[in-house]
Parts: sequence; C-alpha cells; structure tokens
Amino acid sequence: MASLPVMDTVTGPSMSELWKTRHDKSRYQWSSLGLLTPAFALLVLLFLVPMGFAVYLGLTNLTLVGPTAIHSAFTGMANLERLKSDTTFWSSLWATGIFIVGSVVGVVVVGYVLASLLMRARPWMRMIVGGVVVVAWMMPAVTAGMTWYASTTGGGAFSTLLGIPNTNFLDNDPLLVVTLASIWSMTGFSMLVMGAALRNIPSEAIEAATVENASSWQRFRMIILPLLRPTMTAVVLLTGLLALANFSLIYIMTQGGPGNATNILPLYSYQQAFTYNNLAYGALIGNVMVVIATVFGVFYVRITARRL
Amino acid sequence: MKAIWKGVLPRVIAGTAIIAMSTATLATGGVTQAGAASKVTISVAYAANTTFDTTPLGLTWWTAVKTEYEQKYPNVTVNLVAVQGGEPDFLTKLALDYHSTSTAPTLAQFPSTEIALYQSTGYLKSLSPFLKNSSWFAQFPKVIQNEGLIGGKIYAVSSGENNVGLYYDKAIMLKAGIKLPWQPKTWNDIIAAAEKIKAAEPKIIPLWTDAGTSAGPNGAGYGILNLLAGSSTPTIQTSSGKMVVDSPGLLQTLNFYHEVFSKGLGAPTSQLFSPNNAPNIPSADFFKGTLGIAVGANFLGGNWTKQVSFPYWSKASTAMGVAGLPKVNGGGYASTLSGWDFGISSAASSAQATAAFNFMNVAQEQKNLIEAGNWAGWVPPVQSDWTVPLYTNFAAPFNEEFGKLLPSSSELPTSANYSVWVQGIEEASGTLAQTPSTTGAQALATMKGFVTNQLGASAVTTLK
Repeated sequence: MASLPVMDTVTGPSMSELWKTRHDKSRYQWSSLGLLTPAFALLVLLFLVPMGFAVYLGLTNLTLVGPTAIHSAFTGMANLERLKSDTTFWSSLWATGIFIVGSVVGVVVVGYVLASLLMRARPWMRMIVGGVVVVAWMMPAVTAGMTWYASTTGGGAFSTLLGIPNTNFLDNDPLLVVTLASIWSMTGFSMLVMGAALRNIPSEAIEAATVENASSWQRFRMIILPLLRPTMTAVVLLTGLLALANFSLIYIMTQGGPGNATNILPLYSYQQAFTYNNLAYGALIGNVMVVIATVFGVFYVRITARRL
Repeated sequence: MKAIWKGVLPRVIAGTAIIAMSTATLATGGVTQAGAASKVTISVAYAANTTFDTTPLGLTWWTAVKTEYEQKYPNVTVNLVAVQGGEPDFLTKLALDYHSTSTAPTLAQFPSTEIALYQSTGYLKSLSPFLKNSSWFAQFPKVIQNEGLIGGKIYAVSSGENNVGLYYDKAIMLKAGIKLPWQPKTWNDIIAAAEKIKAAEPKIIPLWTDAGTSAGPNGAGYGILNLLAGSSTPTIQTSSGKMVVDSPGLLQTLNFYHEVFSKGLGAPTSQLFSPNNAPNIPSADFFKGTLGIAVGANFLGGNWTKQVSFPYWSKASTAMGVAGLPKVNGGGYASTLSGWDFGISSAASSAQATAAFNFMNVAQEQKNLIEAGNWAGWVPPVQSDWTVPLYTNFAAPFNEEFGKLLPSSSELPTSANYSVWVQGIEEASGTLAQTPSTTGAQALATMKGFVTNQLGASAVTTLK
C-alpha cells in the first residue's frame, strides 16, 4: 500500500502575533512604492509636466511667428487680463455652454428613448435601428461633419425633402444645427449604455409596480430613473467631455462661423494659436477648457463617491 | 658619380617626396572640395495642394524644375518637401519647421502676406546680395520688387501674383440690355448692371462678391479688399503699423456690400460660406449660366482650361468678358495684389544659400515661370511675360487682360495684426450677406469692436 504524500506545513504568524496586529488601521507596505514608481513617472511625464508647461505657456507672449516666436518671455497676468476683457472669449464660452448642455441633454434623452423603444421592438427592427445608430456613433467626425454640412445647407437633403430647397439651415441656425449633429453622432453610445442598464433593471420590480396600479410615469420616476441614475451620470460626464472637446465636427461644418456663432472654446483656442499666431493666448484658452473638464471630473467623482 | 649621387640622390628623393606629398595634398584637397560640393543638399518646401490649380500640376512643375536644376548643378541634391493640406495647414507646418535650424527648409515658397512675419522672427536671409546682378528680378515691376522689401533689404521674391477684376457673362448682359464690351466706371455702375440682370433674369445670381470667413484671409483678398482698394481711403495699415478700423473707405465698402445683399443681388450664403473652395465657385456658376457678374481673381479664367477643368469650358473665351474693377467714384481701376514668394532660410549655410538662389534662378526662367503662372493661376511677375504666347494663349483672353490690369494693383499689408484685421472685415462682410438688414455702419462697428478687442486700442486707428 502506497503511503500518502506528506503535506508541507504552512508556516505563518502565530496567533499571538495576529492578535497584536491592528486591522482597523490602513496598512502600507513601503516596498510597494517601488512598484508604483513607473505609473507615477508616467503620470508626471505625460500629464503633470505637459499641464504645467501649458499653464506656463499661457502666461508668456509666445507666438507662432513674429519676434516673440523664438525669444518669448513670461508676461505674468497680462494674458489673463486680456482674457477678462476679451468679448469674443466670453461669447465663445457662452456658445460652448449651450453646445455642451444641448448635446448632453439631447444625447441622454434620445439615447434613453431609443434604448427603451428598442427593448420592446422586434429583434429584426432592433438590429437594423440599433445598427444604424451605432454606425452614426462610430463614424469619424470628419465624415459626420461633411454629412451634416451637405444635408443642412441650401440644396441639401433636409431642405429638399421639406420642399424649401433654398433654405440654408446651417447658416440660419448654426449653433442649433451643430448641436443636433453632435447629438446625432453621440447618441449611439448613449443608447448602448442605457440599453444595457435597462436590461439590468429587475422585471419583478416593474411587474410589482404594475400590479399596484402604478402609472407608466410613476414607474419611470420611482423605479427606472433611480436605477438608471448611475448610468446616466456616466453618460452625462462622458458626453459632456466629448462635446467640450468636439473640434472636428464644428470645424468641418462652420469653422466657428458664421461670425462667431459656433466658435466654441476648442475652435477659438485653435484660431488664436494658429490663425492669429498667438500660441500663448491659445494655450491659456486651452487651460480654461482643462478647468471646465476638471469641474466635470470633480462632479463625477463626488457623485460616484456618494454612491459608494 | 658615386659622390654626386651620394649628395644629390637624397635631395632628389626628398624633393620628389615633397612634391609628391604636395601634389597629393592638393589633389586630396581638390577631391575634398569636390566632395564637399557634391554634399550640398537643399530642401525646398512648398504647398502641395493649394498653390497650383491641381495637385498633379504642382507635382509636375516642381519635379521638372528639380530635374532641370540637378542636371545643371550635379553637385547639389534637392529634397522637395511637399506640404499637404490647405493654406492654413501649410503655414502652420512651415512656421513650426522654421522653429528649428535642423528642420527649416533651405528654400520655401509662401504667401507674400507672411514675409514680414518670417523676417521679423529672423527666419529669412537677405536676398539683396544675390539680386544685385539678377536679370529677371530687374524686370519685375516696382510694386512686385518691393513685395519683400523690409528695412532696405529684400527678403523674398515673387514667383507669381494674383490680382482681381470683373468677369461677366456676355449673353446675360445682352439679355439685361447692357452694351458690350462692358466697363463700369463707378461702383454705382456695377450695382445698376446687377439690378438690370436681376430684372431680366430673376433666377440667376446677379453679382458674386466674396463674403464671410470660410475662405480664410485669401477670401477677402479675392473679394472685399479689392473694393476697399478702390475706395476713397484704401489704407489698411498706417505707416506706424496701426490697423485701420474706421475710415470713410471702409464705410463705403461695407455700404456697397449692404446695397448688394439688401437688394438681393449677391450670391446665397450656401455658396459664399462654403468651406469648399468658395473663391473658385464663380467659375462653376458661370459655366452653368447661373451668374451674371463676379468680382473674381485672375485664376478663374484658367479654371476653364482643359488642364485645370474646374470645369472645362471651351466656349469661355467667347462667352465671358473681363473688365477692370472701378474705383468708387471712377478715376481708374483698383485691385489687391498678393503673390507667392521664394525666401531662403537664415539657417542655410552660404553654400546652401547659393544653391537655393540658383534653384530660384531655374524656377524664374521664362518657361518655368510662365508654366507656374498658367498652372497656379498667377500673373507672372516679369512684365514682358504678360504678352508671351505661352502665357496669353493658355487662358485667352483672361491671362492677357489680367496682365494689363496688374499695374493698377496694390500690395496687401504683411504683419501679424493683419490676420486679425482681415478676420474682422470678413466677419463684417459675412454679417451683411447673412443679415441683409444690417447697415454698413453697423457692420463697421462690429468689425471695429472685434479688431480693437483682439489687438488692443493702441494697435488700431481711425482715419477721417
């Protein structure tokens, strides 16, 4: 009869040692700092240093060409003073706000409506409509911009279909049209995320509410909306950030015009840096965008932290 | 004998050795110099998609000049740097390349409005020593010679110029009861002709004149700035460098735009604001018979040739007429003048600078210069070329007519503040086109506010 293998004895701290260890306090293994160093180095090199340099650039007189292109100097608060009295900047900030709010509200509402309709739709319809919406989302901004430009100018698809071929929607209501284009291009993402969240809502809860004679509005307000809130928060944050950084779509469609009607901050920053050659002032406007993005980030962290 | 050899032989050997060494040194030196000469490499940067009417025509021209040059100067290697993209992309790339001596192109071709910017940055070498004995430069009209003149030195030389005049469709003019050949004497004559066209042919566009910002700074150069050039006070930038934001000339110009658009004589904003090459749209409209008159650049005529085909229109030479753009109240013609110029980088060594200037010599040979003019839609800067059949026959009669109009043209300013100022006047013209109820005075106030806001009150001025 073969003998059974002898198990190795696992040696560890004795019971008395374990009793001495406090478990209600955070414990650090200082040796793990070495393992964190590469990530920290990347954070410093790829984020903190460029950000710090961008902040510094915003406080200089650096230009793309001209006498201060090579020999720029720190000019203190001069660019900030200029920013305060720059009426184009304030109108650009206002246009940015409208564009972001419009895009976010549109994306969330249309995304939710499509997702809930598709839940009830026949499979073939779900596949076709879902596919089309997702294609719009995956389309490069250049293609989306050209599509919307061609559809909304005089002689385009919209005006021709409506029987008013000479109407130029893009020039008549430029901010509205680029916001609609932005909603159109991001709705696919919202629809997919909302659809996944809707499928995770327990059907028992809905059924119980229905048995209790809850109206559809009550079911939406008391059950669906609270359960969807975390998903909606993520969609709001992400689409808000995407809208804030949406340079290509508007550049293709209007280049910020007519006048300054669609000149949102990314375009104004580009215009200052590369059309007017004011690299430093363009960088400062970019820094304003970083501040706005940070506000979004803090908002998101606070909301998610509250959930935890 | 032995004695003789004893004393002489070592000397002969030593002498021979010295001679041999000297010869070898000289020979080696010669080889080294030849080797150094063969190592001269220059880079030539140009806009691949914007200067010539089509990208293939540009490639053909640059390759032909490079080939001819390298045959003439076998010790020099030319690296052509074709910068892709629109004009703003090209300018950004060039400015960034100039930042470092290792990437600065030895020779570059850029718009004349950039010369002062590059010179003030220290990017350009003075060409004056090279141009002293240049036969082709001596043939440039003074206005073109001075295009690159800063502080008594020349930093860039023209390779071609754009000027502006009036194009009109002869058949439409006749239908409107306008006698041919048509030559308006004042701006009111242009408005009157456009009104007659509108009355006779309500469905067509009576008068095309550029408006808005979509075509970039060049759009204004092909449109509204030509009217300003013919106004009572055409100054854009004063001698002290201040940008003019309010003047009788600006008001006259914006009032003209107000009249055009408030009377429904202008092009629709879908065309004017098109980011798709708006200054070239009139050539397609004329071909379709949907446009009466256009304030248009010299290159529109070339668009109808088979080589450019934008679109090809064999009957253009007989169907279309050209007239000078009159000044506001008569007294001659007016036009802006803007060219594409060659400049040599300040980072170039003396051997590279000489090689780069020799490249310019080849590019400025009559055949090369005229072909560039034909294919890029330029009037050649050498006055005698304006009557050479290679030029006049390419887009007859337009090329010759615009050559005749060139002496009435004036250069656009070249400074950092110009790009802001031109944005202001383009926004003003765009507002007038989009909202025809806007008055000229209101548009001028908007422009004044924008430019003053961007440049600061100390950088702008008002002319009475």
